[in-house]
Amino acid sequence: MRRLKSINPKAEKLSDALRDGGAEEIYTMQTVAGCSSTLDPGWEVDPFGGVAALCQPMEADLYGCSDPCWWPAQVADTLNTYPDWNADANAAQSDWRELQAVYPKPKT
Amino acid sequence: MRGPITLLAIAFAGGLMASAAAPAADYILTGQKPDQLVLIDAKARSVAAKHTIPDAAPGVLTVTPSPDGKVGYAIVNRWESVSGIDLDSGEQVFRADFSGGDKRVKAMFGMDVSPDGSELFVFLSPVSLKAGEYEVGDTYVAVYDTSAGVGAEPVRTFPAPRRTAILAVSNDGSKLYAIGWDVVVLDAQSGEQIGVHPIRNWGRQNFTEPDVLDVWPQWSQADVFSTPYFTIRTDKAEDDPAAYAMGMLTLDLQTDEFVMEEYENFEVIIFSTVVNPVRRNEVYGVYTQLSKIDIEKDELVERIDLPHTYYAVNVSSDGSELYAGGTMNDIAVFDTETLEQIGSIELDGGNMALSSIRVLQR
Repeated sequence: MRRLKSINPKAEKLSDALRDGGAEEIYTMQTVAGCSSTLDPGWEVDPFGGVAALCQPMEADLYGCSDPCWWPAQVADTLNTYPDWNADANAAQSDWRELQAVYPKPKT
Repeated sequence: MRGPITLLAIAFAGGLMASAAAPAADYILTGQKPDQLVLIDAKARSVAAKHTIPDAAPGVLTVTPSPDGKVGYAIVNRWESVSGIDLDSGEQVFRADFSGGDKRVKAMFGMDVSPDGSELFVFLSPVSLKAGEYEVGDTYVAVYDTSAGVGAEPVRTFPAPRRTAILAVSNDGSKLYAIGWDVVVLDAQSGEQIGVHPIRNWGRQNFTEPDVLDVWPQWSQADVFSTPYFTIRTDKAEDDPAAYAMGMLTLDLQTDEFVMEEYENFEVIIFSTVVNPVRRNEVYGVYTQLSKIDIEKDELVERIDLPHTYYAVNVSSDGSELYAGGTMNDIAVFDTETLEQIGSIELDGGNMALSSIRVLQR
């Protein structure tokens, strides 16, 4: 963690916990599935700190990440928030041009 | 080392295989986005039938065949429904919709059917959508009578731990395994917790808590659930590769035997595994590599690179062929002895994504 910098509130909480000795209270993965605080390596960087162990090609993994809401920050969540994001793109490797753009909804 | 398989278990398994194998052939059952349930003749390497599941988008998650191979149950409709499709006629013969009113209820992967085919078990996660807040409810298992048809309601429910990702019924139908942080053993009738096989709470000295990721129902050929796990040895230096270990977890659905043993340093990711029903010491795992692991000797036997990443893998009833699928829309076939690719089944249409790869006999 020495070379990683937290850039969002959730990551800052993890950094704070490590600094304050509370890291034991944080459990990552362990079959946490769907719209959760899943913190498993996989989208930007693999468990080895590189990219070679990410899914190949990334289109193979796209709907495994969007449809069960596995990576709601990185991939549109079709489970609840953007249900039609990939409605016209059933095969990611050939239909990716049909994917829709999504934008964060303004906080009210 | 795994414990010896009892003669009774061998005799029982042999009897099952003999009775099921005679005239029947292997078929692969999976799903494709957005609403297809696909039946594939495994040896012919061809699609035998594609059935459209009503109101299924964006895809098909867990797939569970009935024990007689006549009906395929699938979690669909943004995981808010389970649909049962007659695999011959394509007719929807069973449907349960979980959400209603202010309740949004999702099935997150876990589903299995009783050995006699009469009951379907589904793990559910409910949320109440209130005017100013979402209220997360307790997770539970809903049990359905499979003869209830379209509009089925649960015949009973009972609590199950949050984070449960796999439901598996024991061969005798008496136990329901809820697999998540630990393997919680529930009485399949009453829902009472009657045991636990610890995973996260294994308490081994000099090891961190093991990490498990498994949402794939691939135990029915050998009647053994298997999944890889990752752990770190705290008695070794951080820069020692041997500090980062991969192990194999197996749960025998016939005998309840539960084993977790390390077999190699952490070299590659493995998403899901399957046990060979004939050479039962052999386990095969997929991700971007195909791995063959000997769980008696606790060693990696062989590893090859795959054409692309596959989430799921299953095995033929005679133990000779592997079927790697999920992710995109092809199923790659491999020889279990050599890991040589011996076939490919192209599925026109949508991605399989996280849909299960099941093998059934018809």
